[in-house]
Amino acid sequence: MRAIAFVKSILDPEAPPGAIRFDAGKALGDVPQVLGPYEGNALELAVQIAEASQGEFRAVALGGPEQEAGLRKALALGAAQAMRVDVPSGFHDPLDTARQLKAAADALGGADVYLFGRQAGDWDQGVTAGLFAGLAGLPLVPLVQAAEVAGAGLKVRREIAGGYEEGEIAVPCVLSASNGPGTLLRLPKVKDVMLANRKPIELRAGAQSGAGFRVSDLKASVTSRAGRRIEGDLKAQAEGLAQELRRAIPGIGGGA
Amino acid sequence: MMRVGALVRGDDQSALEVLSLARALGGDAAETYLILAAPAAQHAAAGAARAVVLEGIADADPAQLLAAAQALIGAAPPDVLLIPDGPLFEAVGAQLAGSIDRPAARDVGSVAIEDGRLQIVKGAFGGKAEVTLDAGEGAVLGVRQGAHQADELPQAAPQVLEFAQPAPLLSGRRAVRDASGEDLGRAKVIVSGGRGLGSAEAYRSLREVANLLGGALGASRAAVDEGWASPSQQVGITGQKVAPEVYLAIGISGASQHLSGMSGSKVVIAVNRDDKAPIFAAADVGVVADWQALWPELRRALAGG
Repeated sequence: MRAIAFVKSILDPEAPPGAIRFDAGKALGDVPQVLGPYEGNALELAVQIAEASQGEFRAVALGGPEQEAGLRKALALGAAQAMRVDVPSGFHDPLDTARQLKAAADALGGADVYLFGRQAGDWDQGVTAGLFAGLAGLPLVPLVQAAEVAGAGLKVRREIAGGYEEGEIAVPCVLSASNGPGTLLRLPKVKDVMLANRKPIELRAGAQSGAGFRVSDLKASVTSRAGRRIEGDLKAQAEGLAQELRRAIPGIGGGA
Repeated sequence: MMRVGALVRGDDQSALEVLSLARALGGDAAETYLILAAPAAQHAAAGAARAVVLEGIADADPAQLLAAAQALIGAAPPDVLLIPDGPLFEAVGAQLAGSIDRPAARDVGSVAIEDGRLQIVKGAFGGKAEVTLDAGEGAVLGVRQGAHQADELPQAAPQVLEFAQPAPLLSGRRAVRDASGEDLGRAKVIVSGGRGLGSAEAYRSLREVANLLGGALGASRAAVDEGWASPSQQVGITGQKVAPEVYLAIGISGASQHLSGMSGSKVVIAVNRDDKAPIFAAADVGVVADWQALWPELRRALAGG
């Protein structure tokens, strides 16, 4: 089976508050670029599918040189090929992105399984897998928590409200990966990381249309509320909290 | 003049908010599409100015919902299609957009049309930022729950279309409910726990709190990654986005990814032993305390009525 994992490197989302600042439509900060967590889940599924089917997987990213962090990780985990669609760093229109990723995938000869993270942690678009599936006319399995090769297709587990759903799907198909029992990204061996640093990353010239979404403004969110504290010893805090809960939720307490 | 439409499923709060927004943007000409499982007559009050109802949608299967959405919007989709950002958008929003060659965005707070161009504001960088986008002349948008008011909407008798339901997305499918089986999206009270609780046992103690308050049990991503809670209980920008009457956050530090998922809550109460935890800046009421020490006292206080 052939798989393509679409990977994206982002400013480390675990960076402390304030480490990333927003100015002139850009996110700035002395923060390392890391593979996005959900793209890591997608990459893990690609590795598993390639291993189980004795097939292979490739990795594709779109952006500037900062995108090579995720591609190098894919190479260290056994990607047969890594390709970067070369466009300027920063925001990209989501439909344009999906079109360019599809063109890159076609240039690589296509695949049986196309894997995306459910949402990149920079612009939080969460739409690329769906747009890609819509453009390609392929079925999309959202929020995949585990996948295994089953005959000529896949058995997948996907998140649904209040639980999960399992079943089989034929290929070709598109999966958007989420965190779950079967998607935790393995660590590459140190030797493979070093070897990956010497492997080539193929560059494909990007062709942004210039149409679609454009950033007009980007600013830090304000999440502040009143923040009143209930002070005192534990008993006083518990009584104050119980009072607040009774006020907010009529009918509770008194019979517990 | 931009054509505005809304695609909703059922008539819950988020559906009414999106229908209201569509009318605010598109006026009486706004096109509203409903995907409904129950008999259409029950939903005539769903606020559709011009509604089309599809029957025969038994569940939230993505392939069936997508086929229904495509049948509803037909060959001439509106320029702007609004969908509640939740399970429906997750299942069909972006794929529908791709199939009609439109861009898409989700977690959209405000939407405006200025000089014939669509302007949207949405979350970015895990909730650390808000981005304003010039979204051109059309898009499919997932509208954040709680970001718009649900207005009084005119009643209408929807037109009912026949719909040939396709096969579900997955063959041989089997749904497994979590032990709780709770739908956080509909809960009025949510008690959520995070890594600050320190153990699976401490997290389990929240079940008693949730039962006592008549609420559902949620979790931060950290608690899910620890294995204390299931992924379907995760609240956050990539978990469930919730807007309950009361959100009680216990042992949750308040990473921006989590705050984005619960910012629509009416009242937020936070308990955390770290008085510098960012959750306190996003809470109406804060208690700096160790939960395991506080809980027996709180149980007594609530029992004392």
